[in-house]
Amino acid sequence: MGYRAENLLRLLKAATPTILGLIGVILLATPVRLAEGWLPTPIIPLLVVFFWSIYSPDYMPSVSVFIIGLLQDLLTGGPLGLWALVYLTTQYVVMSQRSYFLGREQRVVWLGFTMAAISASILLWLVMNLMSGAILPVRALIVQMIATVLIYPLFGMAFRQLHRRVLVEA
Amino acid sequence: MDVLGQDRREGLGRKANSRFVLILLMIASVLLLLSSLYSAQASVFKKAREGAIDAASPVLALFSGPVSYVNGIIGSVGDYFNVLEQNKALREENAELRQWMDEALELRKITAAYEHLQTYEAPPEAQPVDAYIIGESNDAFARSMIVNAGRKRNIENGQAVVDDRGLLGRIVDTGSNASRVLLLTDIQSRIPVYVEGADVEGILVGNTRAKPLISFTASNDDVEVIPGQRVLTSGAGGTLPRALPVGIIDSQSRDGIAVRLYANHTRARMVRVINYEFPGIDDAGAADKALAPDEGNEQTAQVEG
Repeated sequence: MGYRAENLLRLLKAATPTILGLIGVILLATPVRLAEGWLPTPIIPLLVVFFWSIYSPDYMPSVSVFIIGLLQDLLTGGPLGLWALVYLTTQYVVMSQRSYFLGREQRVVWLGFTMAAISASILLWLVMNLMSGAILPVRALIVQMIATVLIYPLFGMAFRQLHRRVLVEA
Repeated sequence: MDVLGQDRREGLGRKANSRFVLILLMIASVLLLLSSLYSAQASVFKKAREGAIDAASPVLALFSGPVSYVNGIIGSVGDYFNVLEQNKALREENAELRQWMDEALELRKITAAYEHLQTYEAPPEAQPVDAYIIGESNDAFARSMIVNAGRKRNIENGQAVVDDRGLLGRIVDTGSNASRVLLLTDIQSRIPVYVEGADVEGILVGNTRAKPLISFTASNDDVEVIPGQRVLTSGAGGTLPRALPVGIIDSQSRDGIAVRLYANHTRARMVRVINYEFPGIDDAGAADKALAPDEGNEQTAQVEG
């Protein structure tokens, strides 16, 4: 393989988590409508940000997190900076607890993700209350976060394989 | 069990992620939030949103194609199992609609007779634009949709968007090929409505729940409504045409009157944007129209004539 192709491949690998996050945002803006809208779309970017912030923050630079969040704000039509703040805060909290999570069983990491999802929800809810000047119903948010937490094991496994076999190795 | 991240060799070999940048970006996000709180309509943000919708619309269309195909299949499987029930319900509905059709034809005849009698000038016809839903915010708080029609097809901010049953929302951001629809259930949505037969004019306020509330009414006294009465757009403020069906009264509580919407945004695939120009009945309207040089002359001529 030529030097240039090798570099390109390396860049592509480095950008994979960011691209996954952006695809997650696009999915959040797609009319998926599982069971006629009763099942919410999971917040895949949160999974992506959480996973790579723990296992390899070099693959998930803060700038990428910021861009993912900003794109989500632009596409969902919410106030600009909201999701960027939520994802960056998640990254900040996760990275400060990184040494605890590294090398732990997946169950523990799942619990950690649950905590991260709860704190992200609280932050989201508080900011939206402040922005709208009213106490907002939380049901939709809770349902969506539960869906996100429930699919973590599946995505965690897939991301682990991807990270180990494709991004780091070879 | 294998676990990740036990070696520090991973990554690109250099530290791409510093805490300093992270905190800097967090501050930037907070500043963005605060500034969008005070200037939500600022042209920079608006441009950014419109640009984002435009840029994302091909990707969204690409994603929404297969999704709606799969949804269609799931839907048809579901339909297959309750085809008998549906058939029965449709027959009943059809019988009812036939009666309505007879009545409508009768009324049309009467109206035509009156129009013939009076010096009657027909209101301007609405110019509907059909569009597909290519995006939808699957967000707990933001309720909006992206449709594949924009400025190139004469879509403008404020226009009403309906599905086959009733009002869905209105256009808030317009790109050149795609635009955003703010649904009636969004917390930012405020629509002037009236209740048919109850003499109640008010503002329908979204609150992220399925049933928005009529929170402010024109009268200070408590208003009396009966569940089942129809709610229609009032046309006050001059953005939405009058008498678009919105929903029916569901219940009345201390907070306001809950309205069950006709439109179902989880089922709609295709919507209609109503490009409605109000007839210039006052000077303010005429002055507004005068800003657009082509149509302005016509409009004033109509007012004077």
